[in-house]
Amino acid sequence: MVIAAASQIRIIHKQEVCNFDYNLVYNLTLSPRAKLSAKLEREKLSPASHRRLAVPWPREVNMRNGRNPTSKRKTRREFLIKSAGGALAAGAFGAYPLRGYAADPVNIGGLYPVTGSLAQIGVGCVEAAKLAVEMVNDAGGITALGGAKLNLIISDVQSDTTVTRTETDRLISDNKLSAIHGCFASALTLIASEVAERAKVPLLTGSSSDQLNKGRHFTFTPFARASQFAEAQLQMSKLVDDKPKVAVIFENTAFGTSTSNGLRELAPNQGVEIVLFEPYSAGFTDASPLINKVKASGANALFSVSYLNDLILIVRTVKQVGLNIAINGGSGGFVIPDFYKNVGKLAEGLQGVAHWNHDIDDNAQKVNAEYKKRTGEFLFEYAGGLVAQTFMIAAALEQAASSDPQKVRDAIAALDLSSGYAAMCPGGKVKFGPDGKNIHAHPVGVQWQNGDLASVFPQADARAPLIKT
Amino acid sequence: MLETLAQAVINGLLIGGIYALVSIGVTLIFGVVKIVNFAQGEFVMIGMYLSFFLATQFGLDPVLSIVVTMPALFVVGILVQHFLIRRVLGQNDMPQIFLTFALSLLIVNLSLMLFTANYRTVHTWYSDEALHLGGLYIPLAKLFAFALAMVLSAALWVFLHTTDLGKAMRAAAQNREVAMLMGINPNRVFCVALGVALALAGAAGSLLMPFYPAYPLVGQVFVLMAFVAVVLGTLGNIIGALVASLMMGVAESLGIQFIGADSGLIVVFLMLLLTLAIRPSGLAGGRAR
Repeated sequence: MVIAAASQIRIIHKQEVCNFDYNLVYNLTLSPRAKLSAKLEREKLSPASHRRLAVPWPREVNMRNGRNPTSKRKTRREFLIKSAGGALAAGAFGAYPLRGYAADPVNIGGLYPVTGSLAQIGVGCVEAAKLAVEMVNDAGGITALGGAKLNLIISDVQSDTTVTRTETDRLISDNKLSAIHGCFASALTLIASEVAERAKVPLLTGSSSDQLNKGRHFTFTPFARASQFAEAQLQMSKLVDDKPKVAVIFENTAFGTSTSNGLRELAPNQGVEIVLFEPYSAGFTDASPLINKVKASGANALFSVSYLNDLILIVRTVKQVGLNIAINGGSGGFVIPDFYKNVGKLAEGLQGVAHWNHDIDDNAQKVNAEYKKRTGEFLFEYAGGLVAQTFMIAAALEQAASSDPQKVRDAIAALDLSSGYAAMCPGGKVKFGPDGKNIHAHPVGVQWQNGDLASVFPQADARAPLIKT
Repeated sequence: MLETLAQAVINGLLIGGIYALVSIGVTLIFGVVKIVNFAQGEFVMIGMYLSFFLATQFGLDPVLSIVVTMPALFVVGILVQHFLIRRVLGQNDMPQIFLTFALSLLIVNLSLMLFTANYRTVHTWYSDEALHLGGLYIPLAKLFAFALAMVLSAALWVFLHTTDLGKAMRAAAQNREVAMLMGINPNRVFCVALGVALALAGAAGSLLMPFYPAYPLVGQVFVLMAFVAVVLGTLGNIIGALVASLMMGVAESLGIQFIGADSGLIVVFLMLLLTLAIRPSGLAGGRAR
């Protein structure tokens, strides 16, 4: 009885609100003038009553049918979510009036190269970004903001630094954003980060350039930094042999030179002997002479800091020579599904380092399964990382209870997560230092095994033993 | 030491065979039609993609696929000559250079659009195999490519020296005006020259496929070497181009082995520079044959 009475009171209370609702909706569908007056009316309401309005919007129907309002409300909401009819309904009533009844969606930006040379990876990133937002929204959105949904706004940075600058600018000035994630390539992210810093919008990124942690306040990097990759790679060579003798071959431009110098500097500390340190010019026609040198050096591990086509030739030549050597390609473009598709069995046993892998924990595997269902491919390094980033943004929004970018930034800076999708990174913890670096982040060593990328290093993250080739 | 040296020479000769196929095509076109075909590398790339799709769609072995790629590119060569190059002949050199260069850009960008920038490889039973002789090894795929390249070069030589059409082409190469006066139809000869040159490019593509990845810009890797070989071996001289290609392959390999992996090309270009300084018309002297 008591319960019935209580619910009765609630219904009456809602009814009052509902009558008003009905008129509002009715008016709004009538004429521009009516719309204007309704808008003025709405602005008179305090935010608190605003939120109350958010709940019982379709009450007029219930009143007419005399049914239990709660059940009706549920089906209506279900309908809206399940049939993606939200957009349809918004179109039918005009997007405007709905906003008063559901919590305002929170805009987050995604900057990815969907066209140009990096397009293939960019498209995969966008798929993952959409999946992540769907997951957050299906789980009820941002509770602290009245169940507000995340609204992902994707902008194509076209694999081009100039376009990245203008697109980031446009994305930020055209939309009220709470946070951004992007852009895959470090060169692009550095520029997007500059723009975001100026506009004071927080940016999360999986890009590994250490530059991103210098003099920036709105840029956060939840994953391992470039400087950490070299260390991990050297440590991995110890899995191959107790006394690793490493041959380092690298293409002789900035990318290869800086990476390999990092390796050479760190090698003594890690107890790794470098027996060959050989630059080469990228785009060679024949890897045989180079591999001849590696063979002569007596190395038992080969670090190849190479672009993809050189790497393919190197791996193939090593096989032809019959050289028994473990090849580690470092952190390159070969930790993506396409690599195996193009290169095939040649990739088997190839090692590398990544900032994320799809088998690191149960949550990652769950997301990976869903992504695989949609795209037919496993969730690759960068795409997986940005799913976690989306959940970090969601967690920050919960903490901040505001969509204001400055407050979201402060909340991200204060995050301390160790469970859930946001924490699905190597190490399983997220806490940002003053430089925006996740203090728990470290790279994970991976190896191609049976067409899949398996985590093999460090011990805590290893899901499969290293196969010695 | 001796073993390393021998291995380096073997490596150089094998890749030199591929350079030869590309450079013979370039030198043939230059000798007969008197234009520099900047798009030669792109036709190698087309040959590679053709073999790639024949291998992945129909399971045809890339080396065997020359029976398709060579005729296909022969026809392409005739079409290119008949519809494009013929129109710019006889004027000054600029339109010819622009034409082949534009053709190169067009093909590269079309294939970027159609095939994407991905690297495609074909894996055959001999792709990773090698003959091991003592401490030396000879990769099978490269051996096949080298052998077929030599056979094709020899066949071309026989064609040019024994058939009427071949002799007409050589005549046109030596002196176009006089050849025309003798009743040789220049456009017909030019069509065949382009066709043969592109067929060789197609063959190079097919032979590369078992051990080299295909991607839209792959042609530029080989065309640079081809141009050096053509200049080194005297413009228009087929035997010269062949010998120069093999020499360059060996020089590059030795350079990588004994100087540094980023110095292979330095040795090659040094060789070019010295040759040009001492014998400006190329190693074969001033004769185009």
